[in-house]
Amino acid sequence: MIKKKRSKAEVIDSVVTHSVLIVVSFIFLFPVIWLILSSFSKSGSIYDLSGFFPKSYSLKSYKDLFFDTTMYDYPNWLKNTLFVAVCSAILGTILVILTAYVMSKFTFTMRKPLMKTTLVLSMFPSFMGMTAVYLLMVNFGLINKLWSLILIYSAGAPMGYLVQKGYFDTISNSIYEAAKIDGASNGKIFLKVTIPLSKPIIVYTMLTQFAWPWSDFILPSLLLKNKDLWTVAVGLMNLDETKFTRFAAGSIFIGIPIIILYFCLSRFLVQGLSSGAVKE
Amino acid sequence: MVLINNVKTIMNSSFKAKISLAVMGLGQILYGQIIKGLLYLSSLVAVFLYMAFKGVTDIKGFITLGTVEADPWLGEAGDDSVMMMLRGILCFVILIIFILIYISNINDMAEIVVRDKKGLPLRGFKEAVRVFCDKKFHKIALAPPIIGVVIFNVLPIVFMILIAFTNYGGNIVPPKLVDWIGFGNFKKILVLGELKSTFFKILSWNIIWAALATAVNYFGGLALALLLNKKCVRGRVFWRAFPILAYALPGFITLLAFKFMFSYGGPVNYYIKLFGGSAVGFLDIDAGIKAKIIGLAINAWISIPSSMLLATGILSNMNEDLYEAASIDGATKWKQFIKITLPFVVFSTTPVIITSFVGNFNNFGIFYFLRGGLYNDGYFLASDTDLLINWLYNMSIDNNYYGIGAAISLIIFVITSILSLSIYVRSAAFKKEDTFR
Amino acid sequence: MRKKKIIVVMASIFSLAVSMTACSGKDEKKSSGEKVVLRILENDTAKEEGYLDELISAFNEKYKDQGIEAVDANMDEYSDLAANGPYGYGPDVLYQANDKLMTYAEDKHILAINPEDYECYGTTAKEAWSAFDISIDGKTYTCGIPVNVQEPMLFYREDLIPENWESEWDKDSNQVPDFFENWNDLYKLSKQLRDSDSSANKDEKFGFMSSFNNLYLNANFFLSYGAYIFGKDDAGIYDSSDIGFAKGDAANGIEALIQFASVMDEGCIDDTIITNRYDKLGNGSYFCSVSTPDTYSLFIAKLALHYEEDGLSETEANEKARENLKMIELPALMPADGDLSKDSSTMKDSDWVKTVVMGGVNGYGISSYTEHRDEAKLFVDFATSYEMINKRTQILGIAPTRSDVAKENGGTADTIFASLESGRIMLMPSIKAVDQIWKPVQTLMGDFAKEPFRSDAEKKYAKKDDINTALEKASKDIYDAIYTLSDK
Repeated sequence: MIKKKRSKAEVIDSVVTHSVLIVVSFIFLFPVIWLILSSFSKSGSIYDLSGFFPKSYSLKSYKDLFFDTTMYDYPNWLKNTLFVAVCSAILGTILVILTAYVMSKFTFTMRKPLMKTTLVLSMFPSFMGMTAVYLLMVNFGLINKLWSLILIYSAGAPMGYLVQKGYFDTISNSIYEAAKIDGASNGKIFLKVTIPLSKPIIVYTMLTQFAWPWSDFILPSLLLKNKDLWTVAVGLMNLDETKFTRFAAGSIFIGIPIIILYFCLSRFLVQGLSSGAVKE
Repeated sequence: MVLINNVKTIMNSSFKAKISLAVMGLGQILYGQIIKGLLYLSSLVAVFLYMAFKGVTDIKGFITLGTVEADPWLGEAGDDSVMMMLRGILCFVILIIFILIYISNINDMAEIVVRDKKGLPLRGFKEAVRVFCDKKFHKIALAPPIIGVVIFNVLPIVFMILIAFTNYGGNIVPPKLVDWIGFGNFKKILVLGELKSTFFKILSWNIIWAALATAVNYFGGLALALLLNKKCVRGRVFWRAFPILAYALPGFITLLAFKFMFSYGGPVNYYIKLFGGSAVGFLDIDAGIKAKIIGLAINAWISIPSSMLLATGILSNMNEDLYEAASIDGATKWKQFIKITLPFVVFSTTPVIITSFVGNFNNFGIFYFLRGGLYNDGYFLASDTDLLINWLYNMSIDNNYYGIGAAISLIIFVITSILSLSIYVRSAAFKKEDTFR
Repeated sequence: MRKKKIIVVMASIFSLAVSMTACSGKDEKKSSGEKVVLRILENDTAKEEGYLDELISAFNEKYKDQGIEAVDANMDEYSDLAANGPYGYGPDVLYQANDKLMTYAEDKHILAINPEDYECYGTTAKEAWSAFDISIDGKTYTCGIPVNVQEPMLFYREDLIPENWESEWDKDSNQVPDFFENWNDLYKLSKQLRDSDSSANKDEKFGFMSSFNNLYLNANFFLSYGAYIFGKDDAGIYDSSDIGFAKGDAANGIEALIQFASVMDEGCIDDTIITNRYDKLGNGSYFCSVSTPDTYSLFIAKLALHYEEDGLSETEANEKARENLKMIELPALMPADGDLSKDSSTMKDSDWVKTVVMGGVNGYGISSYTEHRDEAKLFVDFATSYEMINKRTQILGIAPTRSDVAKENGGTADTIFASLESGRIMLMPSIKAVDQIWKPVQTLMGDFAKEPFRSDAEKKYAKKDDINTALEKASKDIYDAIYTLSDK
């Protein structure tokens, strides 16, 4: 009797939960669907849409995107973006994880002052420093070089170490104490204990570090003058307003790697996080 | 204090040691520590050469900000004031690093002297490196990030702060020469009525915006994570993919798409008209509160996915035993949430809340894309949805007033950092970092 | 023990010092052979339509022996010469509108030239040259070489002209429909079309359509009524403290603007019409719209697409589109009192004012930072030669400032050229302060355009005084933006 009643409540709970999920999913999905639909519009313009739906469909936008490259060399931009994003994701992640780990697990005199300083630094409106960044890069002869972007993205990454530090804070100290008693050096502990423990947060960091160069257009447009070196974001920003469907197609296309990354890495993001060797 | 003692130690010892105060590294070499000594010596030589060939000119340039105006028509190069300022700052950075090396040289020398007196053997180079890497792991690990941040984040900020004390902007842009003007820009801000009233109007909206946006994004993400964490949910990876969609699209694309969606010719108005209503100006000049709410909603659409990911991670690190104990004690779901989940999550995410508050406070993109290009009545070079950062942009980029823009951003910077710093220092996460370990 | 942190620090300082000294010996000249390479920054349309390729290959062919080669700079067409040029990242020659080019001239980023050195000097209109004049320390310099004139034009589909226009819409029997001659009849036609729209959403039949928040395209509502942007002093030099948006009978013009907005839809308040005009004109929803001559090819493309959907082949559709799409100047007469609803046949000559539109002259400038001034000059001289301008006119449909090409090509090219000479076109002032007029005025224009769509209780501009106050306030805002913060 009691068992049956409980399961009935569970069924209701489950139905309510899932219907809320459907509504939420729809909210997140529908602007994306609209973008996808308009990317398939034949006329090449959103004003041809009746509401959300194009009058006729075609693959022209996608074809143009990859083959009509005299003005908008999308394949090339995609290549540049991939290069910049992958390199800065790797470099940036290493720096962030190092910073967060040290700030979480070590005690030294400069620790709290450093934490306060980074907080204060992040308050500064970043574009006000753009002139300086440009001049700096001119000074170093790094204008029109993709490496300049990688340098800035990964150098700026440690500023956002707080999330990762929060993760390390929740890992029990006892593991480290045990390793130290065993006589492991700090470098060894980092490689053998910390890295395996922090897979989920590394994945999370990689994802965020990858997504940032992937979608930023301010820095590349500041530092890359030559159109052949542009990244996708700059190219899309410069796309003529009458070419909205091509814009939509290009946007969809830069969303795809992130989605793929998510599905590949979701195992780490979800189960990894919960099965993380967090033992009290 | 240690430093002074070390200097005393060296002064009281042999000439071999004292020489390293004058010629960095020579003492080490004389004591037989060749490699280390050479490293010190070479950095001394490098800095000396740098100062002789470039540094002195750079510092002079920093002080004068240029004396010869360029004339591009005649092909006369002249002085580039802002570049000179930047090179000057770079030179100071190098000097500071040199001082740090010099201090370490003194400390090193003192240690050698002490060890020598006690008759202890001096460490070989390899051994010294190994010991250092282990014991000072945090310094080694933090050096690359700190150097990167100093050059690409701190230096631009210092540059910007210094610009606030110059007359850069308006008519005075290169090739014209920029000058130091002390507090001139700040005086101007205090004197001009329009600036003051606009400043306070925008500041109050900015604070409200940052608080609301942070709360909506944070609790939205948490709620979504909790919902997905419920035991009855089937196919979590699938459901979680939808918010990830929003995350996968670059923000500016989303914003442009939403702007069009709410424009007069966009689909939203299409359906309103189809069902007999009349078109609504969601983002036009009269929009006022409508535009603010839409901005908040769109911002939530963009930001909730990442805060959901974060909350999921934090939640999965929770100790399940706590819940079991609680349900045995007969606590309701809600009580469990309030007593167990919330404190845990808030604790581990206070820094994140602060970062997100700061991010929203300085959220440039949202109203730039949704409602750029409008100047409202009663605002000087701004619209009623503009945040301080948008206003700064209008002033310094659209209207070329870099100096004034820098001065205002410095004022904002001081206010916001004092506020957030005091909150941060009082927060549980900062005070009692060890509680949940 | 705390010794060896040094190593890290030292290594970094060493590399820093090396990179500083290495990099500061900046851009050593590439002395790779004697070949001179000129980087040319043209506008996107010229590139897209293939004109740039033709220009460059023709030039390279001619100067092959002298070792000069022109290449596409391949940069954003609006990239900032002031930021890039001094550090060697800018183009050698750039093509821009006069207002943009002259903001560079003010800080000497582009070279002053001697117009007489150029072959096109004699055949190019004086007004066009004057768009590139700048006064520095009391002396006047010319800093650009004019290529073509731009003014807002009326684009329409010929097949949509009412069939009975000869009996109903040609009261003066001059074989030109009245609605292309004066704004009152254009308004009347638009209103009729609007009233006859029976579609569900009432969004399929419009007359004249324009995004009224755009100053450049709709400046006739100001300029025809005696208003102006910046005044000029006796010497003909712009005075940015004399802001003229509220001058003359500007309020009458604004009343006309508000009245016309009422026969459009809300799309005239924001950028909706400016982006959808190509499609909507193509599918016949809009009878006519306003745009600049360089967008001609866009209109053609959309109209051709429309015909293709009707089953025509690509070439047929293109041909039909070219036959059917027409581009003329905006109607020449506006009502002096700003009342568009008056019957044009009852109006005397004195009841009208002549339409004055805003225009610009596009031309070439030579970067002051080029290392090959003489070669750049050769290039510009070549690019403004009769053949090249003629080719440009044919490919891009521009209105050249060379009188010989204008006459040769006739039609629109000639008409616009004539308008430039007759003063129907008021050129955008060639001073930096122009940057600061757009936002305040365009915000206000959007606000005006919204007026017909407000409920009676919300109306802001019911009285002419309200309009005047708003205009004066906008002028003051511009003045403040230019002067309050600067030390001028």
